[in-house]
Order: sequence, then structure tokens, then C-alpha cells
Amino acid sequence: MITSKFEFKSPKDVKEAVHLYGEFQGEAVYLSGGTDLVPRIKLGLVKPKTVIDLKRVASLTRVEDQGDWIKIGSLARIFDLKRNDLIRDYFPVFEASLEATSCESLQMRGTIGGNLLQNSRCLFYNQSELWRGTKGFCLKMGGEACNAVPGAKRCFANYCSDNAPALCTLSAEIELSGPDEDRRLNLEGIYTNEAAKPFNLRPGEILTAIFIPKKQSTGGYEKLRVRDAIDYPLMSVAFSLVDGTGKLAVGAVGPKPYVVEIKTPLRGAIGEAVEAVLKQVRLVGNTVLEPEYRKRMIPVLAERLFNKIMEGAK
Amino acid sequence: MERYKVKLQVNGETEELDVKPSETLLETLRDQLELTGAKEGCGLGACGSCTVLLDGIPTRSCIVLTAELDGSEVSTIEGLADGSQLDPLQESFMEKGAVQCGFCSPGMILTAKGLLDRNPEPSKKEIIRSVSSNLCRCTGYKKIIEAVETVTSTETTKA
Amino acid sequence: MDREHTIVGTRMTRTDSLAKVTGTASFTADVKLPRMLCAKVLRSPHPHAKIHHIDTSRALQLPGVKAIVTAADAHGVKWGVFKYTQDHPMIAIDRVRYIGEDVAGVAAVDEETALEALDLIQVEYEPLPAVFNPQDAMKEGAPLIHEEYANNINVHVHIEVGEVDKAFEQAHLVREDTFQAAGEAYSTLEPYAVVASYANGYLDLWMPNAGPHVRAKALSNLLKMPLNKVRVRRINVGGHFGARSEVSPGDLVTSLLAIKAKRPVKLVLTREENAACTRQIHDIKATIKTGVKKDGAIMAKEFRVVYDGGAYSSTGPIATSIPYYVYEEAYRFPNVRYNGYRVITNKGIRGMYGAHGRAFLGGNEMQLDMIARELGMDPMEIRLKNGLKVGEETATKSVIISGGLEEPIRRAAEQARWSEKRAKLKDGEGIGMGCVAIMCGFPMGFRSGSACYVKINDDGQATIVTGICDTGMGNESMAVQIASEVLGIPVEDINLVNADTETTNLDPGAYSQAASFVGGNAVKRACEEARRQILSFAAAKLNHPAEDLDLKDRTIISKTDPSKTMPMRWIVREAFFQGKPIAATGAYMPKIDFDREWVKKPYGQMAGTYSFGCSVAEVTVDKETGQIRIPHFVAAHDCGNPINPMAVEGQIEGSIHQAGVAVLTEETRWTEGQLLNPDLLEYKVPLACDMPEIETVIVRSNDPEGPFGAKEGGLTTRMNAYSAVVCAAHNALGVSLNEFPLTPDRVMKALDAAKGRK
Repeated sequence: MITSKFEFKSPKDVKEAVHLYGEFQGEAVYLSGGTDLVPRIKLGLVKPKTVIDLKRVASLTRVEDQGDWIKIGSLARIFDLKRNDLIRDYFPVFEASLEATSCESLQMRGTIGGNLLQNSRCLFYNQSELWRGTKGFCLKMGGEACNAVPGAKRCFANYCSDNAPALCTLSAEIELSGPDEDRRLNLEGIYTNEAAKPFNLRPGEILTAIFIPKKQSTGGYEKLRVRDAIDYPLMSVAFSLVDGTGKLAVGAVGPKPYVVEIKTPLRGAIGEAVEAVLKQVRLVGNTVLEPEYRKRMIPVLAERLFNKIMEGAK
Repeated sequence: MERYKVKLQVNGETEELDVKPSETLLETLRDQLELTGAKEGCGLGACGSCTVLLDGIPTRSCIVLTAELDGSEVSTIEGLADGSQLDPLQESFMEKGAVQCGFCSPGMILTAKGLLDRNPEPSKKEIIRSVSSNLCRCTGYKKIIEAVETVTSTETTKA
Repeated sequence: MDREHTIVGTRMTRTDSLAKVTGTASFTADVKLPRMLCAKVLRSPHPHAKIHHIDTSRALQLPGVKAIVTAADAHGVKWGVFKYTQDHPMIAIDRVRYIGEDVAGVAAVDEETALEALDLIQVEYEPLPAVFNPQDAMKEGAPLIHEEYANNINVHVHIEVGEVDKAFEQAHLVREDTFQAAGEAYSTLEPYAVVASYANGYLDLWMPNAGPHVRAKALSNLLKMPLNKVRVRRINVGGHFGARSEVSPGDLVTSLLAIKAKRPVKLVLTREENAACTRQIHDIKATIKTGVKKDGAIMAKEFRVVYDGGAYSSTGPIATSIPYYVYEEAYRFPNVRYNGYRVITNKGIRGMYGAHGRAFLGGNEMQLDMIARELGMDPMEIRLKNGLKVGEETATKSVIISGGLEEPIRRAAEQARWSEKRAKLKDGEGIGMGCVAIMCGFPMGFRSGSACYVKINDDGQATIVTGICDTGMGNESMAVQIASEVLGIPVEDINLVNADTETTNLDPGAYSQAASFVGGNAVKRACEEARRQILSFAAAKLNHPAEDLDLKDRTIISKTDPSKTMPMRWIVREAFFQGKPIAATGAYMPKIDFDREWVKKPYGQMAGTYSFGCSVAEVTVDKETGQIRIPHFVAAHDCGNPINPMAVEGQIEGSIHQAGVAVLTEETRWTEGQLLNPDLLEYKVPLACDMPEIETVIVRSNDPEGPFGAKEGGLTTRMNAYSAVVCAAHNALGVSLNEFPLTPDRVMKALDAAKGRK
């Protein structure tokens, strides 16, 4: 059972939701599909005083063609989006990452906003309160040191959204609505690069929409995992080619997707891009499968994906 | 603690419920309504034993708060048969030997039901993709897939 | 009975399926009794510590708390499967030996109160140095976890047959390899739970168990209650595979709470508790030396196997032996030395899993392939050469009475198109074969046998009363199917009362692969006696020789003159009139050597019979990523005669999941005595999309002892699917694979090692 006690609120629009958040400053959480949040509450990783359900805000589920942009409501379900014609036609990387997300049942429940704002993960962190108490609270829990890497003073949790790397390769933007003015920024701008607290959201902000430039792209997504469904990525690569320029993003190997532009995507260009990523990442033993192996697979999967897309683009 | 009023259709019957905000749908079904067909296998949404149909969608009830569901329809395994007339999936699961220990069966059958309701002629690949949402430790899934195929009007494969 | 079978051998819909597909089948957590309380367990946060003091006073004051128990409420009895392994008090007395060990139990009016109460119990621990792997545990100066096990060696099994060293000297080829494997997790989908209800001196219990009689006996000892007052009731079990075999700490805690609170108590473990605090599976490290003749005949085998046993003995000597035994039952070993060491460590308690030792088997079989390759032999050829045949003896002197390894090998190879596929393997493809034999029953003292009682009711319907336990595999249905066949009445006329210690007679339980061979035999014999009684009455009534009468469709009918018939219920009523109601007992005790002992005398007839099996796996390997896929799998299992072929297939298919695909995905991961993946997301139970195309082959050797010729229904695959995949991977990669499971990172390591990198 969930031992934390909280109130439940069901606002009808974004303004009401943000207002409710303000009433419970610092102790409220927003709920969309709940596939990340509810397990976290059950594990005692978050103990809200109020849960604000966004699912009755109708405006947040729509997909709109705005001419230059495709606007995707943050509460659109993964399953619905992967079958959306606009997404399939224009953004194959995104169709692929949606398909690769979790399993069918959870795709029907989970939302794109929730998927993007899922908290970072670590074997030593995503455990019950009882388990974590035995080890002592780690950095991500507000403690003194990392449990995955004894002595380490920074957090190594991995951000495991399948769709974030894909959307980064499409230069997606997001819209945030909060108590102050709405803001719109590049998706990459949302990441703090700090695994303990991965997102740059201001208190009360709701991710309301994702915008993708409406340009024809080719691309794909490859996911390293043990089982062919349900599992989070242990490492993933996304690549898109838009207007002759490529973008590579590597996910699940740190607190954010690592994005590299490939201005002239000729054969061999991928090596340089991968090198740039490898310089930034530091993998540790906080997942199943060894970190050296996961790191070693970055160039393998990236090169395969790049070559496949470039081959298809000819 | 504040309680929340929720009006739910459960297996066609209206239930006016009074729930704790922190109460999950699984808890409401099993403890308040005494419908114990949905099982708790892991409590964290990883196994699918708690699957019910929520507005027709196969949903892990252990990670849904009942408070979210005012006005929704829930179908559990107990509501699948029409009186003594079993659903074709229930028949086929029995006949094909797709039930061993039975713990995953309610969730598995409802996942399959959700699939067939939205896609009455799934390919074998689509069936596999669908039932990959649910863990089974006993059967190896082969007879489960066969049971679902049997209910589609064209059997797409043998062995 | 000499006619064709009507129902045995058919793909009958299992009698337990209807309740399960309608959600009415009760599992322990579904049981609800009036005034029932909710229990929670306080568990040790330390892997090793002394307990100086437990203060429950504050917790007792919490409104809604009805009882709290500690070891002080128990009787200081320690449990062990054998008298010489009685080391487990079930609720910690003055020492804890693994993280998660049961220290206290609380029963309260609801879950929230029980959890709150746990936080109010104060335990004064003195942490002790802990040790987490057998190698460290056996070193001089290592922390001693139990006073009675020097160097933390819990059990040492030594088997010596022939002249091993001499045979190695004479061998044409000798190989020695070391293999190690992480333990798996049963991952039964139903988490452990117990309901206990105590009233008027009687304790009633429900819990997922694999044999209520063994459970009740253990609890009777632990609680110092007479055995007849401890009643373990029938309940559906959500998976077993070895996880539910023996008494569990939760059984004692919940019983003590029910007795103290004088109200029924339910304890339901979380998934994490289920993984960390109930039975686990041994990690294994094995060094295997094999000597062969030039023609591939095995001359000698020497084994040194170290098992990580966790904190207590559990099935100790049995677990330390079984991996070896299932191997010696399949092949001819003229000279053997086996040294098995079960070592105590500060981790959860380890038991057996679908027989036991699949990684050990995998290592052995892969080594056999390497030997075959050096000799220029086909892996199939070397297995046929060494496979045991009917009439032969295993190295430790058990006679094979049916089957033998040859037919499963040939049938599997044929179905898998072994030779054809081997000849045209592309780069990255491999095909491998795994063989094993499985004992049907083994020495469990007087509990090795089963007894069944059948009564025919006045309408001509039957009630079968048997200790047979069903943990999901279909044993209940099997009992009914046998009864239906012998009594000539349809399945719907048969009621089954089973697995209840008050009403049913002794049975080995769903343990040691005895349900069909032993339990089914008892059912058959009981029904045959009832049948004999019915036909004897009918013969008198019809004035017709009994030998010419048959039972079919609720009717007694002459075999030669079909006009001579009588409804069975008339005879049943006639019998009542005469004061001799139709009621019969049948029993079966397998023909085993009861002097055979796991440690003291590991020689003699181990089991009544053996099943044999061969699996063939095809794999494709991505050499750049180390990922292995299994596109196709064939398993042949000699079950003697399938009572229900659909059920046997189900066992084989489930085994391919649990022991075949599992090779690629399943391992428990640890950090200092704490499980890193006590959940079902990070412990990778294969999904439907991870499964190969499967073909099953049922081999019929018609066992002379088994009921209708039946032996056990599929366990060979639950062991040899592992070896088949290991051998196939080895075949595809061409390198030695010494660390299991074969997750892609380990495969890359093996490939690197072979290239001489790093």
C-alpha cells in the first residue's frame, strides 16, 4: 500500500492546475499516466501532500498541424501517438522510439509528457524505503554520498526516456506553463545535467506541449535492452536526417540525452560524433549489464543506425 | 484523511465509492469490492497480474489511483462471462491449455480481450506484442498465443 | 484393464481451469476470514548481527495492534530437513544471518497500523562481520555464521566410484574446466502469503505450498503442537518450481500471531520480500574434469562444486547432490569423484529449482562438446555413446527400468533436423544439444509413498481423496483423469479432495517429480480396488463372471455380451444395503533403497524410475553486441506415457522459458548481501516476444511401474534447455563460455578473452 497521505485534485484547465500547485507549494506533484510517478510514490521516493491529476485537462491531449510545427499535447498517450499519421509520415525516429517504449499496455497508459519528465534511474535508488534505509540514503535522496559508486560525490542515475533522444534529433521544442509567463524552449534546455535533479523546471510548471518542426525527416531509433519489451533502455541511439543535416542523440547513459549535430553526414562522420559523446559520458555499475559493455555499444549501435539511415536515404 | 468520492461502473454495475486518495484501483477492487480476480504480483506495474480493462484499455490497476476514475468503466475477469456463457477467450484459454497455475490468467485474458476488442483480426506478431505486456512464469506463452489465435476468425499459424 | 484408454492420453481440458479463467480460484492472499488481522514482519537490516534486545512495548500500545511475536513466543525449536541440518529457528533468536531475516511479527486491524507498529519496535543489534560469497566464507578467519559449520561448510557430499585417478591416467583425452553461474530467482508470480486461524486448539493454515503434509509436520515440531491439530488446507498455488517446498519463516510468524491474537491472521509478502526473504537459488562454481577414451566413451569424471547456500541449511544435502545426480542418471560414468560443498553465507536461504543445477549441467555439456570436437565427433554421437540404456545402472547404483537416453536424442535430433542444420550453419549461427535424466521421486523416508482413498457416493459419483498437491502443473486434473479412466465414469462425476492434511493421506507432494509416478499410482490402485469391488458385486447380481465385465459411462457392461448391462449406481446402492459400501484405499511406495542417504551412504536405488530428455536449441549470435537470439527450440521428453499430452507440452514449453531463454536474461544481482533486483522489472523474466518457436516431442517408453506407463511430466527440459542453449552459443561463438548467464556483456568478455584482448 501507499503509506504517504495526500490529497487528490482534478483541475479542468492548466490555470487551475498551476493555481492548485501554488497552494501546496513544494509538496504537490502533477499526475499524468502515473506509470513513473505512482511506482515512485509506492517506493517512497516521493511523498507528495497533493496529487494534481492533469488528465481532465482536455486541451493537453491534442495533436495539431500548425503548418511550420506539429504541436503535440503533453498528455497524448504513447500508443495513440505511435499510430498518428503525421508522426509516422514525418518523424520515423519518433515512431520508432514510441514503439520501443515499454510494452503495449503501458504505452496505452503512459503519456509523452510523462515519458519525457520521468525521473532518472539507478538500481541503488529505485528501491523501497526499507531497502534504501539499509544502505543509507544516497545523493539523489538528499544524502551524503553515492551508493552505486562508493565515495562518489555526484549522482550517476540514468535518464531513460526513449522518446527524449528521438525528439532531440528532431530539434523539438517544449512549452511550459507555470505561475509566471509561459516559456518555450528547446527540449535540450530542460536538462540540468545533474542526475540527482534532472530537470530545469520552475516550481509549478507544467509541460503542456511538444513542438516538432514540420519537416520531412528520415531516421531511426535503436535500443539496447535485455528483453524485447517492458525494459527501459540500457543505452539507446537516435538519429535523424533533416534537410541534409544529421543529429545523433545517445540516451540512458547519463542524466540527459547527449546530442551531436552531424553537419555533413558522410560515411565516417558518425565516428567523430560518437567520439564527442564518449568524451562526455561516464557509465557506472548502476544498471543490469556492465557499464564498460554499455559504453562499448555506443559506437556499435550508433554506426549501425547511421549507416542504415544513410543507406535508406540514397 | 480526506476521502474522495468516485462513481465507477464495475462489470456493468454502478459503484459509489468512498476512497482514500492513496488507494489504488487494485486495492479498491480486491478489498472494497471483494473482486479478487485481479492479483497483486509486484505492486509496481512490472508484471501485469493486476490488469483490468479501464474504459476498454488493458491497464495495470496497481498503479492507478481510484480517485482518478470518476465516471470510468472497469471490467474485471469476474465480469467477462455473460452469466454462465463464457467469453470465447475464456473457453479457448481452457481448451488450449493456456492456464497452468492461473495467477497471471485474469490479467492475461483481459489483455487479450482488450486487443481483440480493438483489433479482431490481429496477426500473430500483434498478439505477441500485446501479451508481452504480461508476465507468465508457467506456460512459456505458446499456448496463450494459440488460445488468442483460436478466437480470431482466421487461425494465422500452427505450431 | 486391457482395452484402449478413453480418457487417459487425451488432451483433456484441465479440471482446475474454469475457476482460474473466471477469477474464482482462490489463492492465499484472496482468503478472507471473519475478524481477520493483517500481519507484517520486522526484518533484519543487517546481514550478520547479534540481537541483544527487542522492545515491543511502544508498538503494543498503538491502537489496532492485536499481537506481536518474537522468538520468545516460539519454542526454540530449530528446523532442518534432516536431523543433522536443524539450524533454522524461523524467527531469529539471538542472531540474524541475512538481510531480511524475520525478527518480529505484528498483527493489526489493518495494513497501515501493522506497518506503523513495525517502526515502533526497537531492536538492539550488534553488527558482526559478514561474508557474501563461498570463497571468502571458507577462508581461515572468515566470520563463522553457525557454530556447528566449520569454515562455514554446511554440507559436504563425497561420492567415490571406481578408481578415478587411475582412469584419468589411462584416458586418451582429459579436460578440466571451471564454470560459474549466478543464482536465479523463482519469480513465482504469486508472492508468498500465509493465512493462519487458530481456534479450540486447532490451527488451520493456507499458504502456497508444495506438499501440505511436510509443511504441517514441520510446523507441528516448531509449534510443539500435535500433528493432527495443525491442518494445512488446500489452496491454489501461483507457481512453485521448488520455491514452496519447505516450511517458511512466514508460516511460523503467522501461526504464532494467530495463536496469540486469537483471531485469524493474514500475512502477504511484497514482491521484494518474496525475492529477498523466501527461498532463493544457489550460485554455483564448478570445476569439472573429464577423461575419455579415443572413441568418446567417458572413463572418469571428477567434480568439485561449491554452492552458495545462504544463511541456513534448507534442503542442504539434497541441494548439494541433485545437480550431480541428474547428470549421472543420463550418462555412463565408470569412475567418478564428486565433492559438493554447500557453503553458508550471509544471504537469503537457497534451495532447489526445477530439479537443480542447470548451470552445472550446462558447463558439463559444453565441455562434452569441446571434447567431442577434439575427437572429431558430432556432439550427438558422443551423447549416444555415453547415454544410459534400460537395464543399466547409474554410477551410484540406481537401475534404469525404462527409457534410456537414446530415443529422446534421436527424436529431438530428427525433429530439429540436427545433421542437416549443422552442415549449413552460417557465421553467427549455432545449434546445441542438452541431455539429462530426472529421478521420479527420491528417498524421503516413509514420506516417499502416496496413498489415496476413493469413495463411491450413492448416485454412482466418486470422491477421490489424495495428498497429491497441484502447484499449477495439472496434478489435480491428472488424478481425476486417472480415476475417470479406471472407474468408467465421466470427469464431471468425480470430486477431488486433495492436499489437505486433515483429510488426505500422506503424499510426497509436488516435490522430487513424484506426482504422476507415485501419487498417480496410488490413485490408480485405489480406483482399481473400488472397481474390483463394484465388479464383484455386479458379477453376483448379473450372474456373470467378473473378468468379463467392464465399467464404461457409468455402466457395468459385459465385454462379450453388450446386452448385459447395469447402471453402476444400482450396484453402489446394493453395496450399501449389504453393509459393504464401495470404498477403497490404494497406495504406492516406489521401489527405492531406503538405506541410501545423501551424505552417509549415497549409493543404492535412488528413485523408482527415471525420465529422459534431450533439447536442441538453435541460436544466432551478434558478435559485435554479444546478443544471442534463439529462433527455434526442440525438446523431446520421455514421460513414459502422457496422461494428458497437453499438460506435458505445457510443462515442456514453460521449461524452455525458464531454463532456455533464462540463460540469456536471468540473474540475481547483489550488493553486500542485498539484492539489487528484488523486483520483476530488473530481474528479467522472459516475455512472449523473447520466446523461440517451439516444437515439443513426447517420447513414450511405457514405464513398467508408472500408472498407465507414466513418469514425470517435463522436468528434463527444465534442466536441459539450459545446456542446449549454452552448447548452441558455444557452437556459434567457438569460444569457451565459463560464466553464466550468457548476458551480452559476458559474451563479449568471453569473445575478448579468446582473442587475447585485455
